[in-house]
Parts: sequence; structure tokens; C-alpha cells
Amino acid sequence: MTDVRPAKTLLAKSCCDEHTGTVDERAPRVALAGNPNVGKSTLFNTLTGARQSVGNWPGKTVSVARGTWRASGGDVTLIDLPGTYSLLPGSPDEALTRDVLVDHGMDGRPDAVVIAVDAANLARNLYLLAQVMETGVPLVVALTMVDVARARGVRVDADRLSALVGAPVVPMVPRRGEGLDALDRAVAEALANPRPPAVPPLGDHVEPALAALAAELPAASTARFPARWLSIALITGEPVPGVPDGTAALARDLGAALVDGDDLGDPEVLVAEQRYAWVHKVIADVVTRRGDTRTTWSDRVDRVLTSRWSGAPIFLAVMWGVFVLTTKAAAPLTAALQALIDGPVAGAAGGALTAIGAGAPVRGLVVDGIIAGVGQLLGFVPLMAIMFVLLAVLEDSGYLARAAFVVDRLMRLIGLPGRAFLPLIVGFGCNVPAVAGTRILADRRHRLLTGLLVPFVTCSARLTVYVLVASVFFGDAAGTVVFAMYVLSIALVIGIGLLLRRTLFRGMAGEPLVLDLPPYRLPTLRLIGTQTWVKLRAFLRTAGGVIVATVTLVWLLSSIPVGQGTFGDTPVEHSVYGVAARTAAPAFAPAGFGDWHNSAALLTGFVAKEAVVSTTAQTYSMSESAGDGELAPALRATFDRTSGGHPLPAVLAFLVFLLAYTPCMATVAAQWAEMGGRLTLFGIGMQLTVAWLLAVAVFQLGSLFW
Amino acid sequence: MTPREATTGAAMRLSRVTGDRRHRRRLVELGFVPGADVSVIARGVNGGLILALGDARVAVDAGTAATLLVEPSHD
Ligand SMILES: Nc1nc2c(ncn2[C@@H]2O[C@H](COP(=O)(O)OP(=O)(O)OP(=O)(O)O)[C@@H](O)[C@H]2O)c(=O)[nH]1
Ligand SMILES: [Mg+2]
Repeated sequence: MTDVRPAKTLLAKSCCDEHTGTVDERAPRVALAGNPNVGKSTLFNTLTGARQSVGNWPGKTVSVARGTWRASGGDVTLIDLPGTYSLLPGSPDEALTRDVLVDHGMDGRPDAVVIAVDAANLARNLYLLAQVMETGVPLVVALTMVDVARARGVRVDADRLSALVGAPVVPMVPRRGEGLDALDRAVAEALANPRPPAVPPLGDHVEPALAALAAELPAASTARFPARWLSIALITGEPVPGVPDGTAALARDLGAALVDGDDLGDPEVLVAEQRYAWVHKVIADVVTRRGDTRTTWSDRVDRVLTSRWSGAPIFLAVMWGVFVLTTKAAAPLTAALQALIDGPVAGAAGGALTAIGAGAPVRGLVVDGIIAGVGQLLGFVPLMAIMFVLLAVLEDSGYLARAAFVVDRLMRLIGLPGRAFLPLIVGFGCNVPAVAGTRILADRRHRLLTGLLVPFVTCSARLTVYVLVASVFFGDAAGTVVFAMYVLSIALVIGIGLLLRRTLFRGMAGEPLVLDLPPYRLPTLRLIGTQTWVKLRAFLRTAGGVIVATVTLVWLLSSIPVGQGTFGDTPVEHSVYGVAARTAAPAFAPAGFGDWHNSAALLTGFVAKEAVVSTTAQTYSMSESAGDGELAPALRATFDRTSGGHPLPAVLAFLVFLLAYTPCMATVAAQWAEMGGRLTLFGIGMQLTVAWLLAVAVFQLGSLFW
Repeated sequence: MTPREATTGAAMRLSRVTGDRRHRRRLVELGFVPGADVSVIARGVNGGLILALGDARVAVDAGTAATLLVEPSHD
């Protein structure tokens, strides 16, 4: 058992989730526990009116949320715990659930537990129930998904189950709000007259050992932990804080004696088997099946979607659809929003400011700084919305879990689970939603690794620069060059992935695939709507400020004159921005493009790749619409000069740098929100290093041949 | 035999789970205990399997499938 307890701080906080509002500290606490994907969050949302993320994927809730349930018997603080298969901590989420349930020394221990039990998948759910029963906490069983069970011809006798468990059992359909009143009554009763549930017997073999140990447990430990839970934990060899070494050693010996003679013997596994023995007995007693429940239609669908022959093509088709929708469908919406901001809105604001007599600097700040920044931010909204809707649909339908199975082997090459494919694909459209999309990964380390790899996926904004530059320098071969950039991008993702997996993320891979497949479900419009809205809002909240601030800052820097000119009316070359670009330029000399025009373009590219082309034009003091006619000779002249007569390798090096370095401020903002400042900065450093090294290598090697 | 050799759809009974402790613990918790009803629902690329474990459906990779020992069940 860990002595570092995240749960303590999580539960002690007055409010853990932005959507749940503040809760009354004196209200009784009821924790919502259960297996993953059984409807806990749906139940939580219905009871508290909150919007916890719900999804047809095991492991959706990865932290604790709290909310107030206005129950008939008075307000109750409801705690939505992450789903877990067992109370043995295999992951931090499980440790959290377990500590909440067993550690009396912890603040915020619940007064009662509602355990959600999936009627359509009883065995595994009853296994967890057996463990919760061992903790002696007052229980109410919420028997969820009875609609699904009924459809499969499975009937669960709630009264019989209640008698065996020693706690009320309430059949319900959380998604449709059925059974809420009965749950309300059962919880009120459990809080008013708390009673420990029954204790699942662990068989003639284990029970005597438990009895022998129970007599030796020190009083201090049994005051902090439920006695039966403690005995079982110790006999299965689990370290528990505060238990004397002698007692722990005795327990280990008792445990070892239980499995004497079995080469694979392990008291923990033995106890688990005994619990399942109880589970199967209970099932035989409470479940009646009608008809053949062996092969469901869901199985027949699985045969097609995951088969050796059709699995991969279907997967590729779905991913292609996601790619097309996130790139193509969003484009007109984005363009329209941006045109609205750049045209009427900026015009009106400019006019209004002139009317009230604001000077040019103020107008510049508002129109070219803040409004332009908001425009860029809004430009991302359609893209993000489409991405989130697609994620929700794929996830809720249950397909995502199958897709993960199909590409598992491939992704495993870089130490990532199959689902990580999705954010990477989305990244080809835009890195920003891709970074946010890493949330579909349950494991934190997987999320971080994927988040670090996404920027190497070449997005559509970078494509505009490739096309412009390649057509100026490579003529007919431009297409090949652009294609090569895509190949390089994929190679970088794999290469950097392998590298990170061997260094920063060592020990993460190698986890075999054992994935609980959720049944196929029809995604509901309401669910998709709320999910998309919650994620979109989070994006706007966290990334919005960064994007607007950066655009404004760039405007400011390019408006402050150095030497000549006045504020807001100075050529870029003589602004702070131009001077900064000039200072940075020599760093690119080894790559063959050490010129301030280029470094200014790259500096802008840091903010947004969309702006690289316009900045390039701007630095040559010509408008973007001047077109190739004027821009091309200027570009050629620059590269001829900086590369010492090897312009083509220098251009390639420039493109490679552009591919590999930080995609844009919005991606940085999204990364900051998803993985925190430290890793984001590390990522930027890594991108710049990789980009620079590759660019130098390309130029140095290339100039030997051209 | 392991589920990899079993016929798709045939009813089987799990007799033993091998592999290291962590691995066995994880599988046992999901319900892979001796005596459990198992059958192969679908076969994916590279030997991955989708197994029916009672009412649950679990996707496993080839390596994991090889650690499960099953025998035909006759009911
Ligand atoms: N048919 C049916 N579907 C339900 C019911 N309750 C929830 N669902 C669906 O089941 C899926 C899982 O629901 P969640 O509420 O996210 O489950 P959870 O237990 O919180 O899952 P984790 O957070 O992963 O532990 C969602 O797709 C829900 O829409 C129900 O009573 N009947
Ligand atoms: Mg949940």
C-alpha cells in the first residue's frame, strides 16, 4: 500500500471538478464505486446534474469528481470514483479507490458506498463487490444496465442477490434515469442505519489461515483498517503502512503455506480464485437465462471488424474518414469565421476606435493584436468541435476499442497502445486537436508520449509553406518534395518514439494487451453534445489566453521601432521583431539559410504556420498577393546568397526545419494544458534540437552533391 | 492447448493461467480463473484473439493467449 495518497488531497479539496460546484463539507459522503464502463458517471451526472465525462470505454473517469446530490433525505456529497476491477492497486486510480474505501485514517472517508454492478456482465462486477464487502463499509448495490441484460435474455433476481450480499440491491437504467427513487430510498436508509454487508467466505483452505492471523493483528492497525480486509491484504503479501514487521512476516508465512507445492502458487491468485468461486455460486443462484445467450450480434460484428482480412481495411477507411472530416469539412467554417473577424469585426472595431479618437497605436493593438488573436483562436473552434464529435462517436459506439485491437501490434513498435493511432492521424490535419485527443488514452505515460510525438506529425498548415517554397525552387519536382516531407514526418514519429521509449519512457512498453471490450452501443446525441461542449470549453479556457496573448505580443514586438520609425509605423526590419530575427539568423548559417528573412518567417511559424507565408512576403516588403512573380526571385536570391551556391540543399534544410520544429503556439498551449509546463518545454527543446540537427545534416550532406 | 489452437466458437473451459505474477494477477482479476467458460469470438492479425469470458468480451494479444491453457468443455 502506498503511503503517498493522492486521494487525500483530492478528497479534501473543497471542490475537485469545475462542473460540480461547491459541496457542503458537513453533508454525508457517498462514494460511487464499480468496474470501469458500468454507468457510474452516468449515474453521477443524473444525480448531481454535473457533466462528468461519460464514454463507452473502460477507464473514462481518471480522477475523482464530487457533486451534491439533493436526495430526499437531505443533501449528500457524491464522489465519482474511477472504475476498477479490483481493490489491489495495479494503477494509481485503483490505489485511490482502494484507499478511499479502506483507510480510516484518511479524511473524507465515505459514510456509505454505492457500488454499480453491471447486470449484463455480472461475474467480474461481483468480484469487485466481494472485495468491497470485505471492507465492511455500508453498501447499496446499484444494478445497472438491466436493459442490456434483459435484451440478452439475462434476468437477475435482485431480492435474492440482496439477501446474499447483505445490502439493498436496486435495479436501474442510469441512462434513462430509471430506478433513481429506489436508489434514493436505499441510500437514505443505509446512511440512517449503517450496517456492514455480508462477508464472502473464502473456502475451507483460506479461512483458517485468516482466523489464525486475525488473532495476531495489533489494535492500532485494526483501528485504522477493517480487520478482514487487513488480514487478506497481509496474507496475500501486500505491504500495509503501520503494520509491525513481525505480523507482516507471520502473515507471509501463513500465505506461503496456503500455496505450498504449487509451482505457480501465489496466495493472491488463490484468494482471487476463491472470491470467484463465491461469485459463480451467487450467479448460479440469482441469474436465469432465456434462450441462447452465447453468441450475440455484437460478436458477429466483431468477427468482421477485427478479422485478419477486413479489420485493417475497415480501420484505414475509418481513419481516412476522420482525416478528411477534420481537414476538409472544417476548412470552409474556419475560413468563414476568420473572414468575419478580419473583415466586418476588425473594420467595425477600427471605425469605432477612430470615432472615439483613439490613436494609431491603440487601434493597432486592438485590431491587429487582440482581434487578430481572437480570430485565430476562433479559427480552431470548428476543427476542434468536429474532432471532439468524431472522438465521441467512435468512442461511444465501442468501435474505438476494436480499432485499438486491430492496430495494437503496429503501435506497439513505438511502445504505445493501439488507440494512440487516432490522435496521430488527427495530427495530420491539425496538431492542436490531436494533442487534446490524447485524452482517449487511459494511461498517463501513454498520453504524455503521444503528446510529445504529435508535433512531428506534419499538419495541413505546414503544407501551405511546403507548397509555396517547393514550387518556387523545385518546379515539376515540387510534388515529390512535398510527399517526401510526409514520409519524413512518419519516420520522425517512429524514430523519436523509439528514442523516447528507450530513454524517458523506459519500462513503459511491453505491457501485453488485455482489453475489456465494451458492447457496441448507439451513441446518444445528448452525450456527444455535452462531451464535445465540455472539451471545447476546456480548450478555449486553457489555450485561448495563450493564443491571444502571443499574437498580441508579436504585433507589439513588430511595432516597436529600433533606431528609426515611430511606434506602430515602422518597417518590420527595424522593429524589435526584425532585430530578434537578425540575432537568431546566424544560428541557421550551418544549415544554409542564415538570413533574417528566413528566421523571421520561422519566428512567426512558432506562433502559427499559417502566418509563415504572409510574414515572408511582409519581410520582403511586398504584399502576399504579389504572388510568385515578385516573391520567387527575392527568395531565390536570398537562398543563393546564404547557401554559398547550394540553394537546393539549403531550401530542403529549411523545409525540414519547418517540419520538425514547434508547430505553433496553439499546440504549445494545448500541450501545456494536457501535460504541464515542464514536459511542454522539454518538447519544445527536443523539437528545436531535432529540427536544427536534421537541417544542418541535410544541408551539409546535400551540398556535397548539389 | 491454448485458445490459439481452439476452433472459433467452440466452448472451452480454462484450466490454468501461466506467466509471471503481475500478468496472472491481472488476468485473474478479469475473471480468467480455472473453470471459467471461454471461447474464441474472433481472430485478428498477428494471432490476437477476442475471447468470450462468460458474458464479457476481452481482446488479448498472441502472447497473452499463449499463457491461457484451456480444454474443450462438454456442456
Ligand atoms: N444501455 C445502457 N447504457 C448505459 C446505461 N448506463 C450507462 N450507459 C452507457 O454506458 C457507457 C459507460 O457509462 P459511464 O457512465 O461512462 O461509465 P463509468 O462507470 O463511469 O465508466 P469509467 O469512468 O470508465 O469507470 C456509456 O456509453 C453510457 O452511455 C444503462 O443503464 N443502459
Ligand atoms: Mg466514469
